[in-house]
Amino acid sequence: MLRLFVLLCLGAFCAAQEGRSHCCSAEDRNIVQKQWSVLWKDTESSKVKAGFARLILLKLSEQKPETKALFTNVDIDHPQGGVFTAHCLRIVNAIDMAINLLDNPEALDAALDHLADQHHARAGVKKEHFKAFGDILAGALPRLLDDYNIMSWRSCFRGLYAKITSKLDA
Amino acid sequence: MKILIVLAALAALVAVTSASGCDKLQRLKVKGQWSRAYSSGHDREDFSQAIWRAVFAQVPDARALFKKVGGDDTNSGAFVAHGLRVLAGFDITVALLDQPEALKAELAHLKTQHDARHIPDNYFEAFRLALGHVLPAQLGRCWDKQAWSDCFEVIAHGVKGH
Repeated sequence: MLRLFVLLCLGAFCAAQEGRSHCCSAEDRNIVQKQWSVLWKDTESSKVKAGFARLILLKLSEQKPETKALFTNVDIDHPQGGVFTAHCLRIVNAIDMAINLLDNPEALDAALDHLADQHHARAGVKKEHFKAFGDILAGALPRLLDDYNIMSWRSCFRGLYAKITSKLDA
Repeated sequence: MKILIVLAALAALVAVTSASGCDKLQRLKVKGQWSRAYSSGHDREDFSQAIWRAVFAQVPDARALFKKVGGDDTNSGAFVAHGLRVLAGFDITVALLDQPEALKAELAHLKTQHDARHIPDNYFEAFRLALGHVLPAQLGRCWDKQAWSDCFEVIAHGVKGH
């Protein structure tokens, strides 16, 4: 009984934390950074990164058709084109920045706050879109990365998504 | 005589291709050197700090442009985040040096972000010089000054729009 109580308290404490929390422990952060860095080993990895983000965004627009209109500005109708490719790299680089800042909480907060502002400014972006994006990303990463620790990624990314979506109305 | 003409023609060809600035081989070189210098985690934060401090040392007035993002203290979380944000944008342009269409799109995007800030040309020059000092410090001998100078010009030209 006591054990259950302690577990429940721990769970509640985890849920109450936002951003980087003790649930995304130092070792979790190390693991995420190390596993993510594999993507950046090769000079030509920008093609892999853009391709990866392209697949995720296209899948998102398939699952949540209303999101497609949100990417009209960046020419989602021509996903292989330069405009959309550049946008894909922007998204990958934002994720990369957050991951590389995982152990600098103050700077990470500032970076995520800025991303939250940028998404708040886009009318029509909803929390459920980030939920879908997160699920697709979590499904795709283990196909791309040979080493993928699902628990570490999940605990660290939960905080990231909470911060990025914190300024959305819906 | 014929050989001389051929040689002269060859020399002219070499001169023309190398004068074009930021050619394909230079682009590949810059990409490779950048990805090594850009590094990750704490190293990247230090790399970024070094570049920004070198910028502010040259043009102290530029700090005023970064007031909203903690420019007064390059150690602040707000400024670390901003410094890395800018380098992340720069990283995209370097990564796209060999994909002209996407490079054009990214430069146009960065141009719209910079237009409203009315950044004088000498600030870009200060950024170029800062890179020119921090990159070799990071990379040692394996740094090609000419390639960087030529390719930085392509990127700065795109962001400034002139």
